[in-house]
Amino acid sequence: MVITPVHYIVAPLIAAFAIPLLIKIHKDAARIVPGIVLFYNVIVSLFLMNHIAEHGMISETLAGWQAPWGINLVVTPFTGFLATMVSILGFIIWLYGYRFKRTLKGGEVKYYEILQMMMIAGSIGIIITGDIFNMFVFIEIVGISAFSLTAFYRSRDGAEAGFKYLLIGGFASAFLLLGILIIYTQTGTLNMAQIAERMPDVPQQMKIVALIFFLVALGIEAEMFPLNGWAPDAYSQAPSPTSATFAAVVSVAGVYALIRVVFTMFDVEGVNNYLMVMGFVTMLIAEIAAISQKDLKRMLAYSSVGQVGLVLIAFGIGSNLAVFGALFLMLNHGVIKSLLFMAGSYFIYNTDDKKIKSLNGIYKKLPIVSFFFALGALAIIGFPPFSGFWSKFYILISAADEKYVFLIIGILLVTIIELTYYLRVVGRIYFAKQEGEPASHKPSINALVAMSSLALFIIVIGVYPDLIMPHIQSAADALLDKSNYIQQILSIKN
Amino acid sequence: MEGILFKIFGAFITALLAFTVGMLFGGLRRKVIARAQNRVGPPVYQNFLDLLKLQSKTTNIAHGFMGHMAPVWIIIAAMTTLMFIPVLQGDLWFENLTMKGDLIFLLYMMVFGNLGMALGAGQSGNPNSVLGVSRGLSQLVGFEIPYFLAITALMLQFQTTTIAEFLNIQAETGVWIVLQNPFAFIAAVLASLGMFMYAPFNIVGAPAELASGPRAEFGGKYLGTMMTGGAVFAFIKLVLMVDLFLGGAGNNNLEGIAGTAVGLLELLLKTFLFYMIPVFVAIVSPRYRTEQAIRFFWKWPTFFGILAIVWALYKNGTFN
Amino acid sequence: MEIIAIILLILLVGSMLTFLIDSFSSKLTGITAFLFSLAASVVFFTQIPSGYQFKFQLAGLDLQWGLTDYSYYFAYIIFGMSVLALLYSIKYMEGKGRLGYFYGSFLLTILGMFGVVISQDFVSLFIFWEIMTWASFLLVIYNAYYKVKTKGVKYMIFSAIGAYAMLTAIVFIRVHYDTLLISEAIAKGAFNFEQYIYIPIFLLLGFSIKAAVMPFHVWAPSAYSKSPMSFTTIFSGAMSKMGVFGIGLVFTSIYLGTNPENFYWVRTILGWLGGITAVMGTIYALIQTDAKKLLAYSSVAQLGYIVVGLSTGTKLGIMAALYLTVIHAVFKGALFMVAGAVEKQAGTTDMTKISGLIRRMPWTFLVALVSIIALAGMPPVGGFVGKWLLYEALITESNNYILVVVVFFSSTAAFLYSYRFLYGLFLGQEEKDTKDVKEAPITMLIPMLILMIIAIVSGAVPGLIFEPAAKAMEAIGFQDVTWQMSSLTNLWGDTTNLGLISMLIGAVFVIVFVFITLKGYKNTKDVGTKDISTSGEIPKEWENLSFQQDFFQPFQRAAAPLYSMNMNKIWKNLGENLEAFFGFFRKLYTGNGQTYALYVVIFLVVLLLFKDVIFS
Repeated sequence: MVITPVHYIVAPLIAAFAIPLLIKIHKDAARIVPGIVLFYNVIVSLFLMNHIAEHGMISETLAGWQAPWGINLVVTPFTGFLATMVSILGFIIWLYGYRFKRTLKGGEVKYYEILQMMMIAGSIGIIITGDIFNMFVFIEIVGISAFSLTAFYRSRDGAEAGFKYLLIGGFASAFLLLGILIIYTQTGTLNMAQIAERMPDVPQQMKIVALIFFLVALGIEAEMFPLNGWAPDAYSQAPSPTSATFAAVVSVAGVYALIRVVFTMFDVEGVNNYLMVMGFVTMLIAEIAAISQKDLKRMLAYSSVGQVGLVLIAFGIGSNLAVFGALFLMLNHGVIKSLLFMAGSYFIYNTDDKKIKSLNGIYKKLPIVSFFFALGALAIIGFPPFSGFWSKFYILISAADEKYVFLIIGILLVTIIELTYYLRVVGRIYFAKQEGEPASHKPSINALVAMSSLALFIIVIGVYPDLIMPHIQSAADALLDKSNYIQQILSIKN
Repeated sequence: MEGILFKIFGAFITALLAFTVGMLFGGLRRKVIARAQNRVGPPVYQNFLDLLKLQSKTTNIAHGFMGHMAPVWIIIAAMTTLMFIPVLQGDLWFENLTMKGDLIFLLYMMVFGNLGMALGAGQSGNPNSVLGVSRGLSQLVGFEIPYFLAITALMLQFQTTTIAEFLNIQAETGVWIVLQNPFAFIAAVLASLGMFMYAPFNIVGAPAELASGPRAEFGGKYLGTMMTGGAVFAFIKLVLMVDLFLGGAGNNNLEGIAGTAVGLLELLLKTFLFYMIPVFVAIVSPRYRTEQAIRFFWKWPTFFGILAIVWALYKNGTFN
Repeated sequence: MEIIAIILLILLVGSMLTFLIDSFSSKLTGITAFLFSLAASVVFFTQIPSGYQFKFQLAGLDLQWGLTDYSYYFAYIIFGMSVLALLYSIKYMEGKGRLGYFYGSFLLTILGMFGVVISQDFVSLFIFWEIMTWASFLLVIYNAYYKVKTKGVKYMIFSAIGAYAMLTAIVFIRVHYDTLLISEAIAKGAFNFEQYIYIPIFLLLGFSIKAAVMPFHVWAPSAYSKSPMSFTTIFSGAMSKMGVFGIGLVFTSIYLGTNPENFYWVRTILGWLGGITAVMGTIYALIQTDAKKLLAYSSVAQLGYIVVGLSTGTKLGIMAALYLTVIHAVFKGALFMVAGAVEKQAGTTDMTKISGLIRRMPWTFLVALVSIIALAGMPPVGGFVGKWLLYEALITESNNYILVVVVFFSSTAAFLYSYRFLYGLFLGQEEKDTKDVKEAPITMLIPMLILMIIAIVSGAVPGLIFEPAAKAMEAIGFQDVTWQMSSLTNLWGDTTNLGLISMLIGAVFVIVFVFITLKGYKNTKDVGTKDISTSGEIPKEWENLSFQQDFFQPFQRAAAPLYSMNMNKIWKNLGENLEAFFGFFRKLYTGNGQTYALYVVIFLVVLLLFKDVIFS
């Protein structure tokens, strides 16, 4: 095996240290090298996916240290799927941000690029790591990059948002560490498979207390209400490619961590209901908050939170079909919300403020970007024939299988709220009276390529979902087949 | 071929009869009102004289195509409606097309002429005409409701929608429908007050106020033709009421021409008596404003109409 | 490749092509769109027989497209109206902006509607339904003259409520009956009101919203009147009929029931909703001063009749509904085209601003006249047949004696706005500022005249429409539907001979017209509208003699209680209150980091306190 999961981690780390040196040789190195690294990650992902399709899951231990002490990287169809998705989206976001000149105004481009790369690499790390402490480490890596990126513009608002994020993120770290401590004292291991194996022996009270710490800590990362106060500020103050990364990469990793802990490590009853209820509350409050936003990026941020809520609902339902729907939705959310943030940032770029009302008639200035935004809006609401429809459809079907009538009605009512505010924006973009001069900032070619590839995905998957469905299905199977996961990892280890 | 010719001849006779009776009744009305007001009044044949004068005018004024068409519409409506109404029961001369259409069709056909006249009045450009139209159409919505209720009640009670069938039923049972469903009769009579547009429902024309309303801009041959149509319509309305409620006419055992003559006399008598209801009401009534008129029709006549339907359902056994 | 997919592809490619062509030549877009729609309909009518089926798999679901006689009937309307509307659009849309956008969405809407009728499984039904909805939404907001915030989105919100009601029903059909095929679901009794009542109720809700039934009709008047008229032609003519299509489908189980009194209460409720819709639509139509708005409200009312017809569940009633479906598309399509032509030529359809166009646009007036006669339901034009069927169905075959009066009231009051429309635009004083108005271009007149001819012919030989309608009824479960080529017969055997009536009216018309025209021909003076007698004086040139404001004031006064019930206001209040309520929740996000930290701690404490309740 030439390529191993460790490349995911090593390549960005080497690059991160190399960039400050390389920049002396060529001033564009800071922008180009992360792209190469992220592209390499894509290749790694595709290779690994191909490998596990033939040979089954991979579990790699680093430096010969055996679990529970060693660093353990696991690529199952589930983690592989998410890692692939994250790396591809990360690369597209890099492509989009390649010439994002505005970043130059505030901070220095090399820091931006390095942080961005580390954030994506850290997210991949969260996904593929097999032991809980490393997960904590990667969460910290992502967190630190994210805090700094939020405050990247060094404005007052940015700093405030960054600080809020840091504050809440601090809580997350502390609680996560507490949870890990409890688990370690009880089971004597940090490897998740091993923890899962020994979990039945842990006293019930201990188990639940540990679970609660995990739930709160990872709930912060997964933007669960009421722990998501940081999210709207962070999304709206960060540079736009970063906002897209938050939505497409970081929140995916956060949800992954939560799901991995809940589904694999613990075997506590009632947690499914907890996820479902909190997911619904998250979605409801977020969408309600979104409808009265006046700031475009804040609106998108709340909408992201809402989507994550729906993902949590689907995981809470817990059936195979529901998990399938949840994964599909995560993918769609990543793609569509990236597109929306990308398009939205060009709107903001061309207006003086970030307000929705200054988007009036911007269609004439930016026809292609407006088209992408409208497409994204229709897709995220879940209109067929766009990809967003299928994920919502499968989640509803799975809810119906469990006869959750009110849940279905609730989801659909919230969708109507979502539809209202998205279409108001679309209507404004296309049909409100136009004011002002022609666009000062046309989208650059790399941004167009990035956005078109996302749009293409939305349409193609919308019309022919069979392209992607087998992969998601095997990912869902892999997640739910807990005993196989434990067995495989332990057997590889020995 | 002979049958068709006979039919055409019959239709012609029917039209002539309707025209004559309608004009004559119009004259009679003027006479009756005059006598009630202690005047001498015009002669009974005055309407014929008026018509003659109008038709022999040498100059005619048209205000455009629809103005030109308005009398045509009225005549179309009058003639078509007439053809579907049994004037004398069982008499070949007056059979026409009575079995080829039903009450719903008649209901709509009778409005047809009004709409044509309204369009003609509209094109004249005289605001008074259009004001009249607006009032007339509003009032139409008023009185059509109890009328339709009454008709529906009859249809439900006797399970038919053809007028000839109603006549047969009355002939067979020997009891007029006015006795079989009195509420329907009351509703229909009250509605017909509006239909004739005499006082108190004469705000549409309102000569003193609107310069005779929709007809203000018509004169000469146009007014004459419209008058003809109006006369035929008056006859139609009366015969329809008589057919529906008062057993029709011509239901006698006499053969040949004698039977027809007796039938015609019976028809004249019944229609005249019925005609006197709106005329006498007109004599003693002031004038309603349009909304008052509409409100009137939506109150008691409608109440009786609903009562008629309940009665009909009771009679035909729906409640058992 | 399957022929049905080719039709969809033609429309899709056409949509994209017109969108792209706009950048090169905006003149070609209209013609391209027209040609593509024509091609699609030609392929459809020549290549696809009724009973065609095509099965395939997508996303792990069994999908099936095909055509029964029932869907074929609606396909006639869709393609017929679309081709005419697109022909009309070429000139109507000329000189307006964003033509590529307009025609692209137009063809997509057609695709969506066609998809709805060919869907034989619920998933494709929903997909196409949604495509139809959002594509039409793009057209509804095409005219940017008004605040986007409320009106356009209102249409979308109501559509979404409907669509999601449908979706809920669909996912539960899959759970309870383990099928997504419509025919199988019907066979298993999925639309039965006894077992899982919410399934048919939700489906009905979804379809009724598209058919603009009370109390969900509020989107319709503004959406119809604000869209470009060439689109409203199929919006009101064909797309609203998709709701009718669906209601008919859901009721199949009722029709199939052996007991004619099956689920009488459902039908009664729906019938009454339809009746009230008709009344409300009518009384609001007659107080409008904008011709487009008037027609829009009238569409709502007419859809009410159709729903009443469907709700009877009897042969004559369904026949009435199906017949009205077509004839409404025909005359209302023509009327919207008339309004569009007036708008195009005279600049506005506000009846307080223009009048007396009859001399300027005689052909347009002719179309308007015939269509209005059809709308008012008078013989000998096709509209009468629909009204007759409806009344006779209600009186003879069903027990809705009061409902028939409600319907009659509404259709009598319809005379008022019918007259208002003709008078407001075409009759009345000829004002100076409309002196230069020209007749509509020939490509706009042709579709209008075609529709007019259909309206006239269907009045004399309605059998032409009865034949496919009868087939359609047999496809949804009626047996032995009888019909005659040119006469009508009810359950009691009473007939109305339409051929004879048409001939009679024609004959009388010719005779009297010739007589009136020839009599005193030389002495007949044709004068203008200023040459009138007002209290014995000849009015001056500058005197305003137009009567357009508060036209039916007496009626309005008499029917004042009816006007006090305003659904629009109720919904608006609901929406505003909801938003205020949402605003309260939004305040949970204070923007203060300390508060957020507090939330985290509180949440943790709460979880720890209630851990035994939540987790076991």
